[in-house]
Amino acid sequence: MAELKLLLKYRDVPGIENIDVWESCGGYEGLKKALTMERSAVIDEMKISAVRGRGGAGFPAWIKWSGVLKHTDAPHYLICNGDEGEPGTFKDRELMLKLAHQLVEGMIIAAYATNTDKGYVYIRGEFVEPAKSVRKAIDQAYAKGYLGRGILGREDFNFDLYIHMGAGSYECGEETALMSSLMGERGQPRLKFPHGALPVDAGVWDSPTLINNVETYSCAPHILRNGGAWYASMGTERSKGTKIISVSGHVKKPGNYEIELGTPLMEVLDLAGGVIGGKLKAIIPGGSSVPILPAEKCVGVNMDYESCQAAGTMLGSGGFMVFNEKTDIVILMRRTAEFYAHESCGKCTPCREGTRWMFKILDRIVSGSGQPSDIDLLLNVCDQIDGRSYCPLGDAAAWPIRAGIKNFREEFEYWITHKKSPIGGDCVPPVPYRINPALIPLS
Amino acid sequence: MDNENSNSITPETGERTSCKSEGRFSPNAIAELDEIITHYPNKKAAMLPALWIAQREYGGYLTREAIREVARLLGRPKAEVEGVATFYSMYNFKPKGKHHLEVCTCLTCGCVGAYGVVHKLEEMLGIHLGETTSDGEFTLSEVECLDWCEAGTVIQVGNKYFGHVTKDNVEMVLEQLRESDDHTSPSLADDIVKILLPKGEPKSKVE
Repeated sequence: MAELKLLLKYRDVPGIENIDVWESCGGYEGLKKALTMERSAVIDEMKISAVRGRGGAGFPAWIKWSGVLKHTDAPHYLICNGDEGEPGTFKDRELMLKLAHQLVEGMIIAAYATNTDKGYVYIRGEFVEPAKSVRKAIDQAYAKGYLGRGILGREDFNFDLYIHMGAGSYECGEETALMSSLMGERGQPRLKFPHGALPVDAGVWDSPTLINNVETYSCAPHILRNGGAWYASMGTERSKGTKIISVSGHVKKPGNYEIELGTPLMEVLDLAGGVIGGKLKAIIPGGSSVPILPAEKCVGVNMDYESCQAAGTMLGSGGFMVFNEKTDIVILMRRTAEFYAHESCGKCTPCREGTRWMFKILDRIVSGSGQPSDIDLLLNVCDQIDGRSYCPLGDAAAWPIRAGIKNFREEFEYWITHKKSPIGGDCVPPVPYRINPALIPLS
Repeated sequence: MDNENSNSITPETGERTSCKSEGRFSPNAIAELDEIITHYPNKKAAMLPALWIAQREYGGYLTREAIREVARLLGRPKAEVEGVATFYSMYNFKPKGKHHLEVCTCLTCGCVGAYGVVHKLEEMLGIHLGETTSDGEFTLSEVECLDWCEAGTVIQVGNKYFGHVTKDNVEMVLEQLRESDDHTSPSLADDIVKILLPKGEPKSKVE
């Protein structure tokens, strides 16, 4: 298992953002094939392919699709989650910027399969250029009759696709918060279960709603064109197909790499040209929300849902961040905590208060005022958030900090005892100088 | 409801507007909003688009008058509009400099030199993070992940991303912006509004 280009196969074809070029690469053939099939048969292909949600949770896509189709009494809505905001992840940006037709085709297939006539691509406000590409793709698809009324001559299939731009909120990447934002509200999550409803039963405007990530929809044209069994022939027993891994940090060639699921983690590092600036210290394999892996634990881990989990981390959204030996884990964790404290929507107490507590404690340690009891206090706060917050943002804030302490406890102890970085004055990220310069001895 | 003493939106320009004001949405802006409203089952859902239009029409930030106008156009309570607008970080409530430099200092960028870029910019502009230069040309901010990590350090300026910025080449970014009237807050809002609007033939509506 190694690099395997499927979604990124045509990334570098000149003019691929134009519909003619996309069609010449086999584009919209998956849609045409889908339209010759029963709606439920399209979902069966998705089931056979066993493609799982690529936004981070890894939930089987077909279950959501069939959950929407089974409702026959209300309008359905289709949403693409393009609110990519996970630190270290940048696959959706590239998929929208360069391969917008792949996404649009996937959404039209999903609309047909779920009997839906209205859809929205929710794109984060900062993504102006990627959103322009999606705009262009939608306009071209309308002109060619792939969108609108009676698509490709099918009188019973109408689908309108709109773009909805966000305005700066990580929380809106959570599906129920995204739906709140789409409905014109603050981007705060809603309860799913046990007392709420799943989006497939009552999503936007209380209607059955299919919401998938950009990468998930982008898989659909290939699955329909080549068959679910073909897709399922790639990957491992439980993680089928390919995954785009966004590699960044201390590597020679950062960028998006598409791999067959199950590819060894260290091979991904090699694809990106290996570590620069010193020896490998740690890797965060799935975006800032997943536990950090120290170098010695990276060997033997494969990039699939199960192997990552067995190693104590997660595949997540594929935001693969590489850190060399100059990295100060305590300062990195402080920055991580700062991110979650900033992005917590404030709806529930464990997350709103807990993320701020974590940041304050880590900030105190890095200011040279850490207490010996701070490490246990941090772990205690993590326990108070994990599993107790309204939506997964709270869990995602607690996991990295807990893993940071578990794997690099001695660095936290060094900071608290010596009030300086164990790495030295040239550590990265640098010691935040604004907090209290007088307290920070640069060694 | 109409609380003139509310301080959640700063009346920094000293503009005093009356409820009678018809607002600053141009006929074109109203037409854009009317089109966008048809994309949704109800008017309320056009809240974020309406705020983007307002941010453009009001010169890059939302005044109390802007909030009031959006509330009137969508038929929603003013407090609700203000509540929604203040949730999102890209709506401004104070005038920013002509060019708003938003430096990503998140995990990857922070590890490949973003703080060096911030400190160099502070030095060159003579301001701290969060401040605006006295000539009104630049505002400097720190932002969370812009999701272009392979090009770290990344700076967003209005509708433009600058990648591979280092403390040694950041001066070129400033030079490029000094001569430019693009990449301002209103031009970012304008781009976003245009993205929301379908082009070409008016298409059939499925209702």
